[in-house]
Amino acid sequence: MHPLVPLTIAALLTSASLVAQQNQEQAEFFEKKVRPVLVKNCQGCHNAKVKTAGLDLSTAEGFARGGGTGPLINTDDPHKSLLLRVVSYEGQLKMPPTGKIAEEELKALTAWVEAGAVWPGAAAVASAKGPEKSQRQVGEEEKKFWSFQPVKKPALPTVKDESWVKTPVDRFILAKLEEKGLKPAPPASKVALLRRVTYDLTGLPPTPEEIRAFLNDKSPNAYEKVVERLLASPRYGEKWGRHWLDVARYADSTGNDEDHRYPYAWRYRDYVIEAFNKDLPYDQFIREQIAGDLMPSPTPGEPNRRGIIATGFLALGAKALAQQDKKKMLYDVYDEQLDVMSKGVMGLTLACARCHDHKFDPFFTKDYYSLISIFASTRSFRDPESHVSKLLFTPLVKKEEYERYEKYQAKIEQKNLEIEIITDEEIEKRMSSQYPRLADYMVASRRVHDGKDAAAVAAEDKLDLEILKKWVKYLDPGDESRVHLQEWQKAAPDALARTAKAYQERFEKTRAEWTAEVLKWRAEFRKSLKDGSAAPAKPKFEGSKDRFFEEVYFNGPFGVARRERDKILAGAAKEAVEKLRAEIAQMKAAAPPEPDMACAVQEGEPVAQKVFIRGDYNSLGEDAPKGVPLILAKGSPELQTKGSGRLELAQWLTRPDHPLTSRVMVNRIWFWHFGEGIVRTPDNFGKMGDRPSHPELLDYLASEFVDKGWSIKHMHRMILLSNAYQMSTAISDEAMELDPENRLFSRFPRRRLTVEEIRDGLLAIDGSLDLTMGGTLQQGFGTDSENSEARLSLRPETNRRRMVYLPLRRANLPTLLNLFDFGDATTASGRRAHTTVAPQALFMMNSDFVTERSRNLSSLLLKETDSSSRVRSLYLRILNREPEAAEIDNALSYISGFQSKFGGKRTEADAWFSLSRVLIASNEFIYLD
Amino acid sequence: MEKILQHFHKTQKPMSRRAALRAAACGFGFLGLADLLAAVDNPLAPRAPHFPPKAKRVIFLFMHGGPSSIDTFDPKPRLYRDHGKPLPIKRPLAFADEPAGPLMKPLWEFKQYGQSGIPVSSLFPHTATCVDDMCIIRSMVGEGVDHGAALLQTFTGSSTFVRPSMGSWVVYGLGTENQNLPGFITIKPALSHGGAKNWSSAFLPGAYQGTAIGHAGLKVDDVKGEPIEYLLQKTLSADEQRYELDMLRNINQRHAEMRKHDPQLEARIQTFELAFRMQMEAPEAFQVEQQESEATKKLYGLDDPVTRDFGWQCLLARRLAERGVRYIQCTHSYKWDQHSDLYEKHTENAAEVDKPIAGLLKDLKSRGMLKDTLVIWAGEFGRTPVSQGGNGRDHNPYGYTIWMAGGGVKPGFIYGATDDIGYHAVEDRMHIHDFHATVLYLLGLDHERLTYRYSGRDFRLTDVAGVVAKKIIA
Repeated sequence: MHPLVPLTIAALLTSASLVAQQNQEQAEFFEKKVRPVLVKNCQGCHNAKVKTAGLDLSTAEGFARGGGTGPLINTDDPHKSLLLRVVSYEGQLKMPPTGKIAEEELKALTAWVEAGAVWPGAAAVASAKGPEKSQRQVGEEEKKFWSFQPVKKPALPTVKDESWVKTPVDRFILAKLEEKGLKPAPPASKVALLRRVTYDLTGLPPTPEEIRAFLNDKSPNAYEKVVERLLASPRYGEKWGRHWLDVARYADSTGNDEDHRYPYAWRYRDYVIEAFNKDLPYDQFIREQIAGDLMPSPTPGEPNRRGIIATGFLALGAKALAQQDKKKMLYDVYDEQLDVMSKGVMGLTLACARCHDHKFDPFFTKDYYSLISIFASTRSFRDPESHVSKLLFTPLVKKEEYERYEKYQAKIEQKNLEIEIITDEEIEKRMSSQYPRLADYMVASRRVHDGKDAAAVAAEDKLDLEILKKWVKYLDPGDESRVHLQEWQKAAPDALARTAKAYQERFEKTRAEWTAEVLKWRAEFRKSLKDGSAAPAKPKFEGSKDRFFEEVYFNGPFGVARRERDKILAGAAKEAVEKLRAEIAQMKAAAPPEPDMACAVQEGEPVAQKVFIRGDYNSLGEDAPKGVPLILAKGSPELQTKGSGRLELAQWLTRPDHPLTSRVMVNRIWFWHFGEGIVRTPDNFGKMGDRPSHPELLDYLASEFVDKGWSIKHMHRMILLSNAYQMSTAISDEAMELDPENRLFSRFPRRRLTVEEIRDGLLAIDGSLDLTMGGTLQQGFGTDSENSEARLSLRPETNRRRMVYLPLRRANLPTLLNLFDFGDATTASGRRAHTTVAPQALFMMNSDFVTERSRNLSSLLLKETDSSSRVRSLYLRILNREPEAAEIDNALSYISGFQSKFGGKRTEADAWFSLSRVLIASNEFIYLD
Repeated sequence: MEKILQHFHKTQKPMSRRAALRAAACGFGFLGLADLLAAVDNPLAPRAPHFPPKAKRVIFLFMHGGPSSIDTFDPKPRLYRDHGKPLPIKRPLAFADEPAGPLMKPLWEFKQYGQSGIPVSSLFPHTATCVDDMCIIRSMVGEGVDHGAALLQTFTGSSTFVRPSMGSWVVYGLGTENQNLPGFITIKPALSHGGAKNWSSAFLPGAYQGTAIGHAGLKVDDVKGEPIEYLLQKTLSADEQRYELDMLRNINQRHAEMRKHDPQLEARIQTFELAFRMQMEAPEAFQVEQQESEATKKLYGLDDPVTRDFGWQCLLARRLAERGVRYIQCTHSYKWDQHSDLYEKHTENAAEVDKPIAGLLKDLKSRGMLKDTLVIWAGEFGRTPVSQGGNGRDHNPYGYTIWMAGGGVKPGFIYGATDDIGYHAVEDRMHIHDFHATVLYLLGLDHERLTYRYSGRDFRLTDVAGVVAKKIIA
């Protein structure tokens, strides 16, 4: 073919006629060999009309322009041309998708590209420009989008019925209702209100004492006092911290593939609970979660403990540690961090701009990669390149202190290894007389298997009875087919001895090899102990080399089980081990305490990020300097930073004039109180999200939030003390007609209790809830073997702590949580689903958990002698109100009916047990008025 | 009890539609079950597909770990010839850390079977007798080289993000036929490699979540006692529980009467009636050993300890399919991952599943169910033609074999091909997205129209990709 010179240059060097002749040849070659390939394999999707991926392969212009992934031809190095990479199935992108093109077709395309990829009748492709840059700009309409506008504190609306206004919130609600000619729902009853606000703020029911006290308190500020009491309760942080943990997609393991534990995630969870209890200003709360590690420590010279822990917000997402395309894995993690930050804090779905400009909102891939640049300059891994990437844990103590600890631990570990070696040597010594008798054991086992008495056989053959028994067990066929034993199992009776001998020979051979390896290591290890050098890694037997040896030698008939190892020690060995044990105990006693650790992020190497065209890191586009989305930036979007830019991002997010941060949070607070938002898509304030039903109210709350120092408890008071919050759930016929979806908040929305409220509430009702705060119930590190139950989360049904303290294995959340719409703990979510399905009813009817609660309740009730007061007590505990007279009658006739119908085998306690379950299963328990 | 009823009859207003529904649930029988379900907006009520379906239900036989295609259903003569030679192409991203080993020939003999003459290796002598009912797809392509990513993509379409699983999408699209059983059941699923994410409904409503029957770490005998959590009432007799539920209904009715315009209260009352029926009727479906004939049990290998586990799963799957469960998965627990000991372990694994699989196919066929039951056999990927450590193979998602049977696929048919060493799919490539699109198509669903709006975007099982492999449709 033709020389590898771009044609434009070649043309300058050759005569005009030669060029013409060449052109002619090339045109023929193209029409005969190349165009048919394109027509057959490519133009179905890449034509002028369809232009899949922005690529048109039916015209010279389209070909020259290339597609979204970039120019098709690399003029500097034609072999590296995208076109060839794609059709030869070498890169990530493989075309055509239906199968690789034929070898001759590939040859033709290669030759054509090498010759300059001339498309007859058009200017040489070699001079083609790159791909079309995104031409999209922020449109005027888009700039005016409501949520991007600055928050303006509106004037308070005037209303006709001034008497209904308790807090400014009421003016906004009432004004809209009056506009529609609607009246707000009447006030909720005192008991309903107490139940509502107690579950709302603490996630627990009011106690009978609290109910009585409130009903007896006739002072005008009785309700206010309740609100203050609840806001001051530590239970408040547990309930509202959990709301934020939904946004932070909190869980205690990585979820995807290996599901490794985050052993210190709980410190972040405790931080969140404490932040709510202390009313940590929200702007500071956000800054700490994005960049707390970069903020000054309150104690100079010490690490900023709280700040480091707070960055768990970024560190605790789902991760695919075994992904082998490590660059993809890292960018998936950055994407996930960007997603939780943008949805959680700003209510924006920015992660949608990873592969293309955002479809609906004015965010461009460049905006996306400018933010990604910040996370790409941040570390979440100690060693991302490791086969299973290793997570990063951050000590919460000074560096020197941590290093001291690590060194000390290594020394203890060495002592443990010494013990192991001594024990192994003892076992080998003890077994050395047995190894040569392997074949005898096998043959003897068969006799025992066939019905002979083991003791008699052992005596006869002079074998160790205990070891023989182990052999019998080991060689038993069982229900697993073990290929390496088949030869033995299939051996004919007359071939047993021969076969056993063969097994023994193989065993001895492997043992010799293994022993040599181990002895070598032991020598090196002992040398390292003497000269203080780093200890060599202990060899591990590669099981696939010899399964039989592995099973027999280590844990099988010739091995010693872990818990038996100590028992075989005697004499000098025993003394030596005891001495080492004592030394270890001493060292442990004197060891520096284990430093506190956190699952947190750290500053990494600053990255000069480029746009990845179509999300593919092999296709680099324009520079994406660290920055914030153009449409939200005031002035230049670039962040001036020497580090990752996280600190600057955190400061930008919490500027008082940020249009989204305050709006999104006050909407969340409103949402969590009412079960519905002013904007009903709390995680999406973009074009595809909902529009606020009360934009002025939203802005009023947002500006009040910022003005009052971002105090969340201040927001609670404004909302809880309003008349709007204190309305009943009653729906009038007019309201049903004019405000069917309650967009105007013409009544308080009835809601189902959350799964935490159901479970914690029921434990509180029968007095079994453990109110210990903080700390972790998670044990262990890393992950567990594939089918181990340790991969499951702890069961909320059998634990007594509040649910927020139960560690969540992300890949296997408790079924109870799935059953009652907990969500998946994987993406930021300010709204949980509400389903009503039969399996939920099964839980109420049949679960051990509800059975146990009902039993406990009936025992409590039986302590009271009067039946009516039992019913009262039951209603107060479960439904948090006094029963009516008719309800007491019903309950009592239920009890007597139960006894008369089933009295033969059922006791009175059973009847009360049954009634307790009925009330637990009732709609009135699970729905909050 | 009479007294209570009287009390409620006194307070009862003229019968509204809701009250009529409640009465129906009490057993007065004004309305049929279908009306009842429609009336309470049941997310699992049967729904019409987009177009006439070929298959009504799916049984997915999942071989966790990744069986080797070139040792089972995709023979490669060149591998015998070039055994021991270096890999002739650039190795794509691998799971193994070490450099690629040499090409390794299949360790089993292939033979042609049936009218179609489709070759199957000696690993699957029983399944081989069913090849004339099978459609072998030799050109599967996925993106995950590690188990976690590959499982997630196989079951949800995404190797990275948490998305609803295929079973959830199917039940979301079609509902289910038997309200006394879950619509999507996964038998002894894996807890690893994404665990429950592989049968989760993610952002679809929780009603579409798969119901797990035990998990892969349990033995059949641990599972069959209470296959579905909370299904069994352990202390009360049916009479006693009915008495209790009547009281519950009455209390709930009174509560609802005082709260107008709230359909969710009504819906929840109905769920207790549904649950009660489920509790009465569902356990029967799981009585595999008690109710099946000796001959059937033998057909599935329940009489042999080696095949008992998977045989039980397959036989249970058939019973569930018969009872109208829409989507059923059986999992042969994480056993197929032979980075070493390929010969020994693949032999053992195949021995455990071969007879049960053949039993299932034959049983479905003889009952006339194969024509509208889509059976899928797949691992999360295949294995490399190059050896790992001399006696194993690494993961290969670039070109691997799965097969389907029944449910409107071409019987005795081979679709697609890998290159001559079995590393890459080169002909009629079927990406996992295409596979999903095709399965939905067989069920009468258009993968581009089966969408769910979440977080401001319409999501699909197939994301923005997926082409139906029309060539395999019978």
